[in-house]
Amino acid sequence: MLTLERVTKRFGGLTAVRDVSLEVREGDLLGIIGPNGAGKTTLFNVISGYYRPDAGRVLLAGRDVGGEPPHVICRLGLTRTFQIVKPFGNLSVLDNVMIGALTHLPRVAAARDEARRVIDTCGLGPYAAARARALPVGLRKRLEVARALATRPRLLLLDEVMAGLNPTELGGIVALIRRLHAEGLTLIVIEHIMAAMMRLARRIVVLHHGETIAEGRPDEITRDPRVIDAYLGEEFVLAEA
Amino acid sequence: MPALAPGRWVAVALFGIVALVPAGVRDAYLLDSVILILLWGALSAAWNVAGGYAGQVSLGHAAFFGIGAYSAALMTARFQQSPWLGLMLGVALSIVAGGVIGYLSNLSTIAFSQVLLIVASRWRGFTAGSEGIPVPFRPGFWTLGLGHVAWVYLALGVAVLYYGVAIWLETSRVGYQLAGVREDEDAAEALGIASRRLKVYAVTLSAAMTSVVGTLWAQYVGFVDPFYVFSIDLSVRFALNTIIGGIGTGLGPFLGSLLITSLETYLRATFSGMKTGFAGIYLVIYGTALILVVRFVPEGLTGLAARLRVRSSRAHA
Repeated sequence: MLTLERVTKRFGGLTAVRDVSLEVREGDLLGIIGPNGAGKTTLFNVISGYYRPDAGRVLLAGRDVGGEPPHVICRLGLTRTFQIVKPFGNLSVLDNVMIGALTHLPRVAAARDEARRVIDTCGLGPYAAARARALPVGLRKRLEVARALATRPRLLLLDEVMAGLNPTELGGIVALIRRLHAEGLTLIVIEHIMAAMMRLARRIVVLHHGETIAEGRPDEITRDPRVIDAYLGEEFVLAEA
Repeated sequence: MPALAPGRWVAVALFGIVALVPAGVRDAYLLDSVILILLWGALSAAWNVAGGYAGQVSLGHAAFFGIGAYSAALMTARFQQSPWLGLMLGVALSIVAGGVIGYLSNLSTIAFSQVLLIVASRWRGFTAGSEGIPVPFRPGFWTLGLGHVAWVYLALGVAVLYYGVAIWLETSRVGYQLAGVREDEDAAEALGIASRRLKVYAVTLSAAMTSVVGTLWAQYVGFVDPFYVFSIDLSVRFALNTIIGGIGTGLGPFLGSLLITSLETYLRATFSGMKTGFAGIYLVIYGTALILVVRFVPEGLTGLAARLRVRSSRAHA
């Protein structure tokens, strides 16, 4: 479904992403972890069209989309959420989600109905009329997911949708991601919260200084000495044991 | 069908009253005020398409106003053609200029209006330079030589049309997508919206709408002066009418124009008879009114109305 071939992105002298290759198949739930500045969000920005790769190819369903703008990539079935949420602050939750639905439903009434369904799925029903700006952070993260879902993606990129949530909110969003995955959505998830990631992802890629240092099942990743050294640290391993 | 929002009823009432004015009023001074309020309202509504709905605040929209005014004035005075041809030429030029400016940056409209001012005031052989161009009055619809009553209806027609554009931007797919772009371009892109293209379209539409009223204004007033039609004051006024009335709302630009134009006309008439020392005092009062509105009702008159409505419905509950 999505293939990265030796993707590189540089900013001046800094190489934020170097030679990253990966393969995402239909139905995957891939996790991407790594310390701050490892290049996770940069990689998302390249995949979703916000940055043009300096080298390498991004293939979406066999088509090279490197350099295509985000709206074209969205229409090809790939969209994303933002780590720093970007709600349409002055609009209602319903209008936010409806704007996503309008991408494939040109009629406003149809898009509004679709938005209501998506909002209910994401547990935002009671807040449909609220201004997006007025929502607490946990609900804003959900709104990011709802708005992206309304475009009916086949592949969804989630950039730290769990960061900053309390345990209840966290449980809710993990359940939501599980359900979406069970319904057939393919996902790539960036996350810092290891415990949640271990339970969620089938496969994990570890980035460090812009390079892939490990890839595998969660249990393999936690035993990998390079990952422990670069990211998890001894304490994590002891705690897990 | 959903019930009409309160603002729509106010609009229906306001435009309806204006439509009836010529039946009872023959006073040229009053009709003149009505025409100017409608034209200023339409100009502010045109500005609102870019500044309000697309979030592209421009302080150089006089450029498009001047293009419309000069296109028609030159067409009639130099080439003895119909001002309607000038109107179309102005629209065509404004679409090109608006498109380029929308693509570059909306800040460049200020520079653009100043460049046009220099060209218009120095190219004496063609534009008559800083002397300006008197627009010949030839009676007839084709030549836009109309009486006050006809002008009321022409200006009203344009005002209603522009109000309709605003309603379209509030209820259509394109309008919602534009709202998304205004709120956050990157997020809109992720949802499949071609942000930049949509923004350019909005600025272009706004430019063309401004140019149309520029033409009408020049034909109505009968004189085109480069230092007026390309001035930053004029651009600021489009913006202020809209902000005072309620930015990003359909009715706002017309309410703002109603308030500011009548206030200005009244103050000017009241103080002009006094000693010369008071000649400019209307500007002071005008400025004070502006500061009060921006300080206490930053969301504009339409926002104030909504606030009062909420309060009274709470009181009744």
